Amino acid sequence: MRLEKCWFCSSTVYPGHGIQFVRNDAKVFRFCRSKCHKNFKMKRNPRKVKWTKAYRKLHGKELTQDTTFEFERRRNRPERYNRDLVDQTLNAIKKIEEVREKRESKFWESRMKGKKSQERKEAAVELEQNIHLVKAPGAMVAEPGLTLPKQQVKMKVKVSMPKQQQIQAVQE
Amino acid sequence: MIQTQTYLNVADNSGARKLMCIRVLGASNRKYAHIGDVIIAVVKEAIPNMPLKKSEVVRAVVVRTCKELKRKNGTSVQFDDNAAVVINQEGNPKGTRVFGPVARELRESDFTKIVSLAPEVL
Repeated sequence: MRLEKCWFCSSTVYPGHGIQFVRNDAKVFRFCRSKCHKNFKMKRNPRKVKWTKAYRKLHGKELTQDTTFEFERRRNRPERYNRDLVDQTLNAIKKIEEVREKRESKFWESRMKGKKSQERKEAAVELEQNIHLVKAPGAMVAEPGLTLPKQQVKMKVKVSMPKQQQIQAVQE
Repeated sequence: MIQTQTYLNVADNSGARKLMCIRVLGASNRKYAHIGDVIIAVVKEAIPNMPLKKSEVVRAVVVRTCKELKRKNGTSVQFDDNAAVVINQEGNPKGTRVFGPVARELRESDFTKIVSLAPEVL
């Protein structure tokens, strides 16, 4: 059993999922789901479609070079079964995953650095330019068109008979 | 899914270029042929100066289909075109070469000769 990568979005294709397309020159295209297959049939380039891994890596939105990616590689040499080795590998997988996640979050943080201050600066500039749109709170009182419409109050209606008597009358 | 009137490309050098399915073998009233199934076909287009001529009736085995092929292990394989290889009554290919990829399922339906001639088996 082998976990292949989707040709379009680069996600893992698990057994029993997706479809394999074989072109007449014997090149195999694997897709993880019909979404990717359809996008391929529409002749879309994965590097230009924003949600694919290829796009995100190309535009510096994700880690591209990291030692943790080196572990996930095609190995065509079969390994002789060894109980200890399997145990070690399973432990290593968890550890590597942890390291990778940490590095990814660090990358994201560094990418988003200065985002908040930039937003604030932009907001300040906008406020300064369009200050004429903002009115003083007192203006609401002066102009009746700007005030909120009055809310309707629930009215109480008097009923001739009390409720229980009414129900009894219906039952009779 | 090959049915009568389906046009197929020819994936060998037998001399035919286009086939049209006129019968699916295997059962009476059988509707569709898939990869590895034998059909009766008529040569609709042929290469000149070759043994097979236009409007000749031949046997052929389907080697590629546009309709996806579902495998036991859950994967499905889809090819670019519908293609067949011309065979004789014994099931041996008439041509000496096979072009393009073919499905592994042909081996299970005893067309090992075609599988061995094919440049790529998938």
